[in-house]
Amino acid sequence: MLSKGTAKKVTIYLNEDSQHHLGSLYEAILTFLLHRGVSGATVTKALAGFGAHRIMHTPKIEVLAEHLPIKVEFIETAEKVDELLPTLYDMVTDGLIEVHDTTVVKIAMKEKRRAEPKQPHERKAGKAKLMRIFMGEADRLDGEPLYDAIVKRLRMMDIAGATVYRGILGYGIKGHTHKQNLLHTGRDLPVMIAVVETEDKLSLAAEAVEEMLQDGLIVVSDVDIVRLIHPHSLLEATDAKLPAS
Amino acid sequence: MQNYQPAKLLRLHFTERDRYQGKPLYEAIVSKCHELKIAGASVFRGLEGYGDTAEIHRSHILTHDLPIIIQIVDSEENIRRLLPVVEDMMDKGLIAMSDVNILRIQKTAKVQNV
Repeated sequence: MLSKGTAKKVTIYLNEDSQHHLGSLYEAILTFLLHRGVSGATVTKALAGFGAHRIMHTPKIEVLAEHLPIKVEFIETAEKVDELLPTLYDMVTDGLIEVHDTTVVKIAMKEKRRAEPKQPHERKAGKAKLMRIFMGEADRLDGEPLYDAIVKRLRMMDIAGATVYRGILGYGIKGHTHKQNLLHTGRDLPVMIAVVETEDKLSLAAEAVEEMLQDGLIVVSDVDIVRLIHPHSLLEATDAKLPAS
Repeated sequence: MQNYQPAKLLRLHFTERDRYQGKPLYEAIVSKCHELKIAGASVFRGLEGYGDTAEIHRSHILTHDLPIIIQIVDSEENIRRLLPVVEDMMDKGLIAMSDVNILRIQKTAKVQNV
């Protein structure tokens, strides 16, 4: 199963009319990849190109219009690629196979909505850490509100959740009072972001926040957590889990 | 997280309607914290809640009686100094204190005690 992190990207260059057992080669490769459980593959038809035969394949010449280049690409774990390569090597009789190192940043899969009977949720309790980050509403990072930037970064790090609160009054590290005035001008109210995660992941999150925060306070405490999880959401939440103990 | 220091987090729960010497209690407490040179205080307003008196605090067209939480973070010594003062100012509500580890980040602003 493909997950976030390092992976291999395989690109196969073919000719549209290359054959494999009476069918087209790219279809045969695609079927093979599907049957072997590859997480995804894309076939692209090129506009023009040339290959080892030194013949320009372009749609402008009618005779060659059926010989356009085809690119088959897929991304999988290194082990899976090693397992598939011998067969692909055998199948591609005319073309080129290339393997790159790559990094998977996000895999998102929209869950198909099913009409399910209401199932009882699962209860998970355990130890975790709660981090509160205090800052001002007017704080910015590269032009966007700092709290926005922090939440986005945490989301990218697969941190389980973050909630932003806006205060109505306060003062702190910046030395001035944050107070809402009637005209909403120069508004810099206190903002707090609360994050609950496992100790390991929270310390990574804290490091990232330390780097982004200009003036502010990070407060970390131990908490006991209780999570209620719906059985059908367990499958998709593979990379955002808290301890089960 | 080795550069984090132990500190105390104080949370004061009461409502928006509570007053102290004519002004809103939360404003009075924040000014008091400032006066006592407490590192910082932030006031948050809840959307709905209930507490001791079991009356539901929610927003009405005419009256505002929403839950208020003040969060104050400082060294144990400073919190202990503040606690009796705050206890005296609040006549109902809840005070919660917890152990926390903190890191102050101050890259641009200079402390200017107004």
